[in-house]
Amino acid sequence: MDRTSIGVPGLDAMLGGGLISGRPYVISGPTGGGKTILAMHFIATGLTRGEPCLMVTLDEPPNEVKSNVSAFGWNLDKLKILDATPDIKAHKRTRSVIDVGTTLDVRDLEDVGEIRQSSQIRALEVSVHSVQKMLKQEFFARLERTKERYKRIVIDSLTALKMFSMQGEDSRIMIQSFLRFLSELEATSVLVSERLNPKVLETEFFLSRGEIRLHKWLEGNTIRRAASIEKYRGSSFDDAIRPLTISDRGITVDSNGTVRLSGLHTRQLGEGYLEQRIVEEVSTVIDGVLRGIDDAHRLRIPVTDVDRMLARAMLQLHRRNYEKALKAALNAQTAIQERLKSPPVPPPPPTVVLPPPGGRR
Amino acid sequence: MTNGRIRTGISGLDKMLHGGLLPRRPYIVSGPPGSGKTLLAMQFLLDGVQGGERCLFVALEEPPNEIKANMRSFRWSPDDIEILDANSDIRRFEPTPVLEISAEVEPRRLREIDDRIRKTPDFESHEVTVHSLQQLLKTLLIKRRYERVVVDSMTALRYFCMRDFEETLTTQSFMRFLAESQVTSLLTVELPEEGNVPPEAFLARGEIRLHKLRDETGIKRFISIEKYKGSSHDEFVYPFAIRETGIVVDAGGTAETRAS
Repeated sequence: MDRTSIGVPGLDAMLGGGLISGRPYVISGPTGGGKTILAMHFIATGLTRGEPCLMVTLDEPPNEVKSNVSAFGWNLDKLKILDATPDIKAHKRTRSVIDVGTTLDVRDLEDVGEIRQSSQIRALEVSVHSVQKMLKQEFFARLERTKERYKRIVIDSLTALKMFSMQGEDSRIMIQSFLRFLSELEATSVLVSERLNPKVLETEFFLSRGEIRLHKWLEGNTIRRAASIEKYRGSSFDDAIRPLTISDRGITVDSNGTVRLSGLHTRQLGEGYLEQRIVEEVSTVIDGVLRGIDDAHRLRIPVTDVDRMLARAMLQLHRRNYEKALKAALNAQTAIQERLKSPPVPPPPPTVVLPPPGGRR
Repeated sequence: MTNGRIRTGISGLDKMLHGGLLPRRPYIVSGPPGSGKTLLAMQFLLDGVQGGERCLFVALEEPPNEIKANMRSFRWSPDDIEILDANSDIRRFEPTPVLEISAEVEPRRLREIDDRIRKTPDFESHEVTVHSLQQLLKTLLIKRRYERVVVDSMTALRYFCMRDFEETLTTQSFMRFLAESQVTSLLTVELPEEGNVPPEAFLARGEIRLHKLRDETGIKRFISIEKYKGSSHDEFVYPFAIRETGIVVDAGGTAETRAS
């Protein structure tokens, strides 16, 4: 399948050569995680290959986008940028509200000057519908103008698009329709999304064909960063979490590097369900072993070593090393079962155990 | 089919299910995005077509052309699986005619699917509602006698084809419909990374859950049977891998392979 390079070699390597072309993807991560920079890499790579690229900006006005990326030394002059940042909210009733879709403020990044001033008479509002309309108009206007199709589209960010614009719209259906729209354009699109609440399943995470997740955490006093591929349909991928750095040359991902996950961090990566299951499982095994040990005591079979194995399992469980706990518990289980199955020869159990009841007195 | 059970196409999973699925009932495959649900469902259908059964994949998350392309990376020929494109078109905001899916769409064999995405027509658009989909499936199940059906995903059906207030009730009725239709069906359900299990899980006769756990070395995948009415089943959580042949469950694992 045709691949679209993001332009960060380590990340492209993790993706098995880049993103499968013509499909929508999500870049997710915390604030300040590098999502926008990564999206700009994707754009810059496209532009150096002469591919038409389009960016819809909702988080920052185009002039700020421009100055933020100037440090990286990329030539983004030919990037078409669509300003969908909402105006200052009109609190007075006298100002009429007008949909941002009607202005079609698309321009080359090189032509971007100062921040757009909110109009005194009309306030622009954003909706998924209007952004979609703008995109569509621009896409086909370009096709008409230069016979070229936009190859790469960035939406920064989908989170803002949803937050700004959901009055009266069913956000799930709007996002589904929006992703369908992007798929039909057959451009490779990247949607920047903040994962706000892991307990809520946002539409874009299961409808997108892949998710690149950026991570950021504190280790002592230093900020650590990493990238991982959480999902990638139709392709194999490197599923490890790899260290990521942001420098004046942009993002670098070390596709051979390893990351030590701190406790807090792994928990964020969603082991809720599994943890519960494994705890249950280990407990069941431990219960079984305990019963076995009782039996063994009754039969006077020495099992101190099994006791020790079990103690190790419980200690690991306590420390939340579930896999080790499971392993230790299963070892104890095997040991106790074998011990009970083959009664040791030296003390012949039946003859020794039977006499006491009727024997003395 | 062995001893009256339906094979899932994954031998390790059949072992966990103590032989396979009881026929003509709906089952859930749940897991977070990217855990392998669609793949598992495809293998279930593949096993069906290989045994000469008619099998239907109802696509609500991805366009069929992409499903076709994605399946190429595996060493199978899923060409005979039939796909029903139940993806809604781009929504229109102008008053253009909205077509119910039941009037228009026919399932097609995977081999006949175009390589490019179907485009929303200019003057009309398809909208998939649970009612129209159910209507369409009803006719199809009678006409074409499908033996296995996959709905990928129930979450998409709930999110995009139902109205908020009727979600649980409609989901329940949809699953009831599948049960009455006497097909063996697998319904995929997206799970959030944390938190509560969605209502579909309570309504099915069985739930196979896929887990995704990350550590330093990468994503570890596990599979478990959360519930299976009418049958005994394995209670353990087993690791699985995604290979060129699809999902491979190591259910015969010893203590060592299980824990490592």
